[in-house]
Amino acid sequence: MVSELGELRGAVRDWCRANIPADWRRAQTGVSEEEFAAFQKWWFQQLRTQGWAVPHWPAEWGGGMSVAEQAVLYSELAAHDAPRLVLQFVSIHHAAATLLGAGTDAQRQRHLPAILEGEIWAQGFSEPDAGSDLASLRTTARRDGDRFVVNGQKLWASGAKHADWCLLLARTAPDAPKRKGISYFLLDLDSPGVDVRPIRNAIGDAHFCEIFLNDVTIPEANLIGAENDGWAVAQQTLGAERGLTMLELAERLGNAGFAWLLEQCRQPAIGGGRLIDDPLVQDKVAALEIDITALRSLCRSVIDKHENGTAGPADASVVKLFYSELLQRTMDLGAQLGGLTAHTVLQKPLSSGWESGAWALDFIGSWEWTIPGGSSEIQRTIIGERGLGLPREPA
Amino acid sequence: MNGDLGADAVGFGRVVRDALASAGGDELAITAEAEPAKRGALIAPVLGELGVWDLRPREDSEEAEAAAAACRSAGWWGLPYPVAERLAKPSDLDADGLVVVADVRPTALAAGLDDLRWAAVALDGRRFTTTVLPMTDTVRKIGFAAPLALAELDAQGDGDLALALVLPIWTLLGMLDRAMALTLQHVRDREQFGQPLAAFQGVQFQLTDAEVERAGLEELAKHALWTAQTAQPGAVDDALALRLAAVEAADVVFRITHQLHGAVGFCDETTLSWISRSSQPLRRIPFGLSGTRDALTRRITTRGLSGLFGPRP
Repeated sequence: MVSELGELRGAVRDWCRANIPADWRRAQTGVSEEEFAAFQKWWFQQLRTQGWAVPHWPAEWGGGMSVAEQAVLYSELAAHDAPRLVLQFVSIHHAAATLLGAGTDAQRQRHLPAILEGEIWAQGFSEPDAGSDLASLRTTARRDGDRFVVNGQKLWASGAKHADWCLLLARTAPDAPKRKGISYFLLDLDSPGVDVRPIRNAIGDAHFCEIFLNDVTIPEANLIGAENDGWAVAQQTLGAERGLTMLELAERLGNAGFAWLLEQCRQPAIGGGRLIDDPLVQDKVAALEIDITALRSLCRSVIDKHENGTAGPADASVVKLFYSELLQRTMDLGAQLGGLTAHTVLQKPLSSGWESGAWALDFIGSWEWTIPGGSSEIQRTIIGERGLGLPREPA
Repeated sequence: MNGDLGADAVGFGRVVRDALASAGGDELAITAEAEPAKRGALIAPVLGELGVWDLRPREDSEEAEAAAAACRSAGWWGLPYPVAERLAKPSDLDADGLVVVADVRPTALAAGLDDLRWAAVALDGRRFTTTVLPMTDTVRKIGFAAPLALAELDAQGDGDLALALVLPIWTLLGMLDRAMALTLQHVRDREQFGQPLAAFQGVQFQLTDAEVERAGLEELAKHALWTAQTAQPGAVDDALALRLAAVEAADVVFRITHQLHGAVGFCDETTLSWISRSSQPLRRIPFGLSGTRDALTRRITTRGLSGLFGPRP
């Protein structure tokens, strides 16, 4: 097993050296959204030729790597500063997990191969008045024979302006208790009545989008799971996913983000020497290395437990909470060490990870992480109530 | 020491804030980013009409308080203009403003203001004339930070330092005031799980932690303004201690206010996003957290700060 992993590592390493475009960072800096999307699709196909685009999928759909093999793959890609799959993130993780966990054979056959061919997905869950309290969502889907007519507004749909399809939660039983009246749909974003608008964020890009839905028709065949059972489907497929996506992110932080930090530490310090010669810097870097090592270990353990059915109800929340705050601490130190120069590097390459070496923007961008996919307050509530068995907060 | 700003200074600060509101308020930062060349003409005359540029904070304690209040009001709007840096100008040099610079990579929030001549001072008292170099052209113009070319002038800057360190912290304090006000309003307005966010104790406790930091900084800022203006021994130490406390407080306040705003806090449509971005360079230029701590530690060594109450009996 160990030697097989060693062989895989060697193969990935050789491939990375030969195939990662040397100038991709420069080429992806300051480019248009269209050039970004084209590059992402091209890079996805490069990985696919090796069978590395969706290593976490079951073998029959084009994946089949063990958790240990995935960790090797992700760590090597990160260590070689490969572009990150940003555009396909929801497609290969959230959409695939939903289809594999709750989809019909027809739905899987329709979409999983299409995702491999480049079909892009977004997630339409949050709404202006339904963020942390997602179950209070108000987008409606009214049944009309063998179709549904959808009206409402979705928010924070990352990448939606490039997306072909959308995972959509909408209310199908307005009078039912709020978690019992939601259905889960596959929405074709080319449908009449769909309007996607980008929102510019703090670091100046616009991956967040709003989606306006005005009398949009969805055929019954695109309902996923049972009607009015959408909340349970979303919890089941995406709760697990919250942990699984973290393997790649943890290896990215451990091998790319930390490498950028060490590179920063090699820069000259005020008063001579290098930053890393300062005992305070050494202490902080060592503390982060310990936390990052713990994160990488925790991710593998949680995914192993998930695969053998022994994961605890709050394990994924522990990982998400730990990762998000650790990412922020790491970017904070990078921004501190980057000093004044970091404030003149106000452009980061698209297709990079959350950690790009443009510290001022990475630091600001990292603040997002304690909010989406369940804010830290929600994760703490889950850990308290479901993990530790504490009573619910009085309403 | 004098523990509070006088009523006149507080009133002046209110007038400055209102005038900036009339001139565009939060729109000023948005306009300045879209059209950087216009920011000087957009902002400087508004403050000039109120007499802000006539204040002589180095010469008069009441004018120092008025200057501090004006900086705080500039911070309230995340004003994309170096008000504190202009008000810190040295008495004896022919310059329009003064910035403190680190030993490496001298930087000032002064890009594109070609009508202003800047002096610079280092922690060891050396003073410089400067040339503002162009900033990199990027989507975001965070603080309009630009590199400086320095030419050494003299070593007479010891007396200039403290106020040049203190006044920008009053700007930062105004940003913390605003971040708190925006977030208090947001958690009252925003309902989730059938109640305002403000009703959750977990939310209240985060906000109280932020307010403790902000209120502590306000006290220190008043003290350091007094020691700087009256040239007390240890005024530079107090100014560095204030800077350290301010950077720490800003970390806590912006982390919490962003978290409680949720995703919308990162979008251009929310004022917090603009205020928090504009706070970044103030927190790092001329020194960030570790640089400020290092400078303070080297100065006070085992002696410590003079403090408010003198030596223990």
